[in-house]
Order: sequence, then structure tokens, then C-alpha cells
Amino acid sequence: MTTAAATAETAERLDMRQMAQFVMDGFIEFDDLVPEDLNAAVHEEQLRAPTDARWEPKIPDAFLDTSPATQAVLELPRFKAILASLLGPSYIHDHSYLHITPAGQRSAQSWHVDHDRAGRRLTRDDFYRFNILIAYFTHDVPREMGPTLILPGSHLRQVGHDISRYRNIAGQKHLAGPGGRIAFIHDAVWHCAQPNLTDQPRFMFKVRYHPAEPQRGHFDATGWDSLEMWELFRDNVNRHAWQGSSSDQVAAVRDDWWRYLCGADAEDVAA
Amino acid sequence: MAEQRQQILILHANNLNLTSSVVAWALFDGTLPSDEQMRTGDADEPPYATVVDAMRDGWRVIQLPQPPNELDPGYLDHEFVLERMVPAP
Repeated sequence: MTTAAATAETAERLDMRQMAQFVMDGFIEFDDLVPEDLNAAVHEEQLRAPTDARWEPKIPDAFLDTSPATQAVLELPRFKAILASLLGPSYIHDHSYLHITPAGQRSAQSWHVDHDRAGRRLTRDDFYRFNILIAYFTHDVPREMGPTLILPGSHLRQVGHDISRYRNIAGQKHLAGPGGRIAFIHDAVWHCAQPNLTDQPRFMFKVRYHPAEPQRGHFDATGWDSLEMWELFRDNVNRHAWQGSSSDQVAAVRDDWWRYLCGADAEDVAA
Repeated sequence: MAEQRQQILILHANNLNLTSSVVAWALFDGTLPSDEQMRTGDADEPPYATVVDAMRDGWRVIQLPQPPNELDPGYLDHEFVLERMVPAP
């Protein structure tokens, strides 16, 4: 593990509306972080990557170590500023993989929460400590190509690793879209890989980052307790229909977390 | 009597009421091999709007959910398990 030594003081951090969307959904997505030519260079290096630089041998950073263009993406000031907003400026790079779904692969992965998140008893504090998964798609990924499937809002529920009996859930989201997108995903979000019904391989470069300090007050929280934000959260209590009758309780968890993230006094959120 | 196979339909409803909206669904079909079962993410709309709608189509409810622990949200709530016996292929 290496310290990223992010220096995001002068770059653009997430604002309160962006952070609120992350708090409600468990992910935030950008399609304008990577310059077009740099993105094309990453894709070219993915196409040239030897098999052993991909994820099958499970060698952390095997692809990243051979891809100068990808390394440059991870050093982009806005990219680092977003990570710093979520994790604090001393965030830690844990590992990366180049995930490839081969052309014509028809099988789908089961819903799951990653092992290192779900393999232990989650406590209330674990809601406040979270890792970030980066999902970077260099090329257009339409739904039939197998974009990662996630369940927005699922990061606020406590489950173990095995949720494999589920199949379809109202509000599930395929991370389909144009090339050059990067999604920043809370590591407790339920997710699964999808079939690739096209004749082209699907690339997804993943990085996991850990925090090195309490995750509060790192984004631009100006106006966090304004009427606008109060109304935003109020109007989104039932944002995820699949939560059913537990929406109110999930919203209460979410509201406490929001106050913590924004740096409200600790005694305000401890109850 | 013709040989039969079991189909299991797991429906998660908005609440404990069998007429509330279905919010998650999974079908395990005893007439199909494992690699041809319903996949994650392969449908945006549930096969039935409510549990009662499924009952009206011949499904038998074989498990009713207990009230969920609403103070500690975790797995999907309000899980109804239904079955249907169909002729073997």
C-alpha cells in the first residue's frame, strides 16, 4: 500500500449537492474528468495489455504498473480532489485491477458486497468509515455490453457478503454510458458484473482507496444545514422504492451520517 | 400422473400487505438448467405488481415474512416465497 499524498487544496472539491447525492445513492459519476486524448491512450494500453496484466492472476496493480496513461489519470487534479472530498487528503491506494468481460460472455455475477466490507460485523461507526471503489470505463458501454450493475441506496443497509439469492430489484442501475466515465462508489454498495452480449471485450479499470483519517469536513460543505438541503433530504425520503417501509429508518441513518460528514458536533450525531 | 417440476418465485413487497407493490423478484425454475435461470439485472419490471396478482395466476404462497427489524435495516424486507408445480419438460 502506498500513500497517495493527494494535494487537492487548489482543485475543485465536491460541493454539498454533489455530496448529498453520494450520501443518498452511494455513488457519484463523472464523464468529464479525463481529457479525450488521455482516455484514448488508456484504452489503447488496455487493448495491448498482456493477459497476465489483467485481473485473472489477481496481481494487484499489474495493469496499472504497465500503463503510464492510467497512472496519469489517477494524478489528475480533479480526480484527486474528488477522492480527497470523500476520503480526506491522505487517502491510500489499496489495489487496482483491469476487469475484462470477454465478448459473448452470457453469465452474470450474483449480487454481493465485497468481502473486505462484509466479512465483519458492521457497527454504526462503519457507516461513517467507508472505502471508495473507482470504476473507470474508457469506452462506450451500452447496457448489452455488461456495465457494472449497482443498487443505489444499498450502502445504508447492513448485510453480509452473500445476497446471491436476489435477482432483480426495482431501481437497480446499470452503469451504462459513454466512454471516459469514472464512478466513485461507496464500498458497501451492492453490485454485480453483467453479461457482455456484444462482440467486443468490455474493460473496467477498478481501484480501491482507503481513508487514512476521519471522513468529515473534507468537501465544500458551505450551506450544509440550509433550508435547501433540509428540503432536499426531506423530499428524498422515498428516493429508493425498494427500501419499502424501512425508508424512514434508512433516511434517519442517512441524516445522521450527513451531519457527521459535514462536521457537525460529535454529540449531535452520537445519539 | 405426469411428472412435475417446482418453480420458486421470491417476491419482496413494499410492506407486509400482500397487495403492496413488488420491489424485488427472483424466479428459480425447476424446468431449466442452472445456466438458464433468471439472471441478475435482466428485467426492469416485476412479473407481478403484487403478491396477490401472482396468486391469481396460480402461484401458492408457501412462506409469509415476519415483520422486519425496521430499526436495523439489512437484507431485503417482506420476503414472500411462492411455488408452482408445472409439467416436466
